[in-house]
Amino acid sequence: MSELVLSTKNLSKRFPVGRSGSFVNAVNGVDLSIKRGEVLGMVGESGSGKSTIGRTILRLTDPSDGEITFDGQDITTLPTKLIRPMRKDMQMVFQDPWSALNPRMKIGDLIAEPLRIHFNMSRSECNDRTEVLAERVRLSADFLNRTPSALSGGQLQRVCIARAIATNPKLIVLDEPTSSLDLSVRAGILELLQELRAETQAAFLFISHDLGTIKLISDRIAVLYLGRVVEEVPKDKLFSDPSHPYTQSLLSAHLPSDPNETLQRLTLQGEIPSPINLPTGCSFHTRCPVAINSCQSNVPEADEISPGHLVSCLRLKDGQNIIRRDLK
Amino acid sequence: MNLLSVQDLQTHFIFRDIDHQLREAKALNKVNLTLNSGQVLGIVGETGAGKSLTAQSICGLLRPPAKIVGGSVTFQGRELLTLSEDEINTIRGAEIAMVVQNPRSSLDPLTQIGAQLVRLHQTHTGGPLAGSRKKALDMMQAVGIPDPEGRFTAWPHELSGGMAQRVLIAMALINEPKLLIADEPTTGLDVTVQAQILDLLNELVARFDMGCMIITHDLGIVAHYCDQVAVMFAGEIVEQGPTREVFLTPAHPYTQQLLAATPERLQLGVKSQLGGQPPDLFNLPTGCLSQDRCTLATEKCGAPPPLIEISKGHLARCHFVKPAEKGRSKSNE
Amino acid sequence: MTGRSPSNLWTMARLGNRIRGISRLSPTATAGVIIILLFGVLALFSDMFMPHDPVSSFTDRILQPPSAQHWFGTDGNGMDVFSRVIYGAKFGFGIAIPAVIIAVLIGVPVGLIAGYRGGLLDEVLMRIFDGLRVFPSIILALAVVAATGQSLLNVVLVLGFLDSPVFARLVRSEVLALRSSIFVESAIAAGNPTWRILFLHLLPNSIQGAMAQTAVRAAWAVRISATLAFLGVGIQAPTPEWGAMIRQGAEFMVSGQWWVAIFPGIALILLVFGLNLFGDGIQDILDPRRRVSK
Repeated sequence: MSELVLSTKNLSKRFPVGRSGSFVNAVNGVDLSIKRGEVLGMVGESGSGKSTIGRTILRLTDPSDGEITFDGQDITTLPTKLIRPMRKDMQMVFQDPWSALNPRMKIGDLIAEPLRIHFNMSRSECNDRTEVLAERVRLSADFLNRTPSALSGGQLQRVCIARAIATNPKLIVLDEPTSSLDLSVRAGILELLQELRAETQAAFLFISHDLGTIKLISDRIAVLYLGRVVEEVPKDKLFSDPSHPYTQSLLSAHLPSDPNETLQRLTLQGEIPSPINLPTGCSFHTRCPVAINSCQSNVPEADEISPGHLVSCLRLKDGQNIIRRDLK
Repeated sequence: MNLLSVQDLQTHFIFRDIDHQLREAKALNKVNLTLNSGQVLGIVGETGAGKSLTAQSICGLLRPPAKIVGGSVTFQGRELLTLSEDEINTIRGAEIAMVVQNPRSSLDPLTQIGAQLVRLHQTHTGGPLAGSRKKALDMMQAVGIPDPEGRFTAWPHELSGGMAQRVLIAMALINEPKLLIADEPTTGLDVTVQAQILDLLNELVARFDMGCMIITHDLGIVAHYCDQVAVMFAGEIVEQGPTREVFLTPAHPYTQQLLAATPERLQLGVKSQLGGQPPDLFNLPTGCLSQDRCTLATEKCGAPPPLIEISKGHLARCHFVKPAEKGRSKSNE
Repeated sequence: MTGRSPSNLWTMARLGNRIRGISRLSPTATAGVIIILLFGVLALFSDMFMPHDPVSSFTDRILQPPSAQHWFGTDGNGMDVFSRVIYGAKFGFGIAIPAVIIAVLIGVPVGLIAGYRGGLLDEVLMRIFDGLRVFPSIILALAVVAATGQSLLNVVLVLGFLDSPVFARLVRSEVLALRSSIFVESAIAAGNPTWRILFLHLLPNSIQGAMAQTAVRAAWAVRISATLAFLGVGIQAPTPEWGAMIRQGAEFMVSGQWWVAIFPGIALILLVFGLNLFGDGIQDILDPRRRVSK
């Protein structure tokens, strides 16, 4: 049990829309768990609520419903005052490194900031540790005296990662950490993250919309659609045995860079429905090619079809959930 | 005759910086491209490689401080770079159309989408209004907008990102252009919507027998939707050729690096040879532009690398590339 | 620099154009600086420039017109107007600078907290400040100084307090825009306590607009303090303060002894004018909202 770093139960988040009295249902009953040293990938399109989940877990925004257990402690309603010291153990890396760093602080101060907040360190200790951290993320020490505007996107993201690992946290949420970076820069960051996960044994929640990236780094992958986890699947089964119709269509839209891989196109009709008026029943039924009448009224429960592989689809039982056999 | 032929295109940024000093950045360095009707050409490269600038230079959309300082762009045998602003205006939007990134900001927010389509058709093709209206509805149908009659009076803000991109494609195609330039047409769209848009583009290129240039940083898009590919680095095309050949047997070290960095091929834990900054456009090195980040680089690379034809149509600009057949290499200084 | 790519080149060129246009102070702003420096030197080293003691009376030379001995003439007490005008610069700066500092010290933190916290606190603070601003400041200052006692310190405190809404509003609007920015969220996620967020992250990024206002507000303080003195509140004659001197000289205007009021008047106008010129120039550089391409 102590191995479990984070778990959520029925986590929900609604945002009010102006003063209209209606809500954007960003997250709707999500159960997740991440163990020490594990990387949970979270994939979904825009509006799937993946970023909101990341922020809610860290209590950067308050959940509307459900429970968050971090390191054995229920933090769902913990007041800010008590959350703040816990941030030592839970850190975040944001998507856009250009805007995630205070433009008026020096790189060295930015990396040292979590140390200054959470540890009682002498100045020289702090400087030494900052240099070690910069070296760890392969950032030249020359940059420590510069401001963020002097660095490239990849270098800035390394600064963000150094900040995140500074206090040896137990959980790091990475919200699309490589999406805004160029391909070759992206590869370097992914390599760094891979090394760090082995070294730090921290639990990673890796949020991305790119299936290739997420498969590369995750142990398990949760597929989100309209704020719900529709499938949770071990990494090797994502491409070989996708069982929710949405996962299958997501995979079919994925474009591998190998021109020899033939595409098995399964284009979904229409676009993701508005999270203000969620579809009834299974939220995917409006676009699902194999939806039946009962999908409109019944919310599917998650079935464990093999160890660690959970699928929420009503058509699982009659075997009609596979939309294209040849996808396998 | 090629539909579009770009020769030795050079675009520089010339401006005075904060210290009043005249600076000149060589953003495009002798770009050569050809494109035929019915063909899809992908231009790939990382941020700052000059992909979009190439498109803007071709379309005459440059504004100061960017300036074309050399080369030629011929479209259907006609030189575009010497045309006056008025002349280019009659071509742009009619014979050459552009689809840009970020569709919503490219639509006039105060005009209904039907009216925008009609206006564009009237500007270039003219004819009776009813004809334009019919054409607009046909186009909306062709790009897969459901209920064109109903959407005719929709406002841009009522459209989703994918729908706005479809409208933009409809606007690009309404005058039946010969050349379509799509600059990151699906960046920012969801993958399932991206698939819809790219399938649509492919289908329309075949149907209207257009030439299409897709500018993207996504190698997956190129692999599956482009016949030809040009890989750009630091304002230069380092390798070009049929997509399958370039992707399966990349010749230039930079192309190899780029392909190795795709998630499918990337192997974590194996130290990759990636990294290094692109060269300073204000102060380009003599010789090979990628020498600073290339693992193969030797003193030899201080000299400008030759453009070597590896097989028919597959060219790479590198000292270490060997031509497939003897006597077919040509250097291009 | 990372500015190597064409997208960055566009920005570089634009920035080059923009900053080049304004990096050096405009000629008018430079004129402002010269005026301010001139008065600054007079205020700091007034002893070197004053031919006479500003408060000692030459009882035999009352209301003498300008002459070689008394360049600006003498006033009703027989004091040398030239020396008094020079000495008055001390009061100009001595009131304006501390008043602006107080206004910044009150206004900036209030703006930071109101903008960051939002909600009821923001609402209440802003309504109070609105109240302060709609009320004619001169009348309010008159009332408060009259009530709290007529001392130089009180004048400074009242002016500083009355002017703080200007800075609070500027900082607040910047903070409102920055509050939901990613770097602030990133700072929260790192575990920053609120004071660090406010003063280390928000303050340096929101203070520019307020700083750009300081010179103009100093001009305001000079003007209002002189007005108060003219109305006989705060600083009293025969203190060599320009407002008080104008008040003293006003009664002699009708009888033709114009020099008693005119010279301190000119000094006052010049300093206010100089501060405003400089303030305008500095706003063009510092205030992001006034950075329009020229």
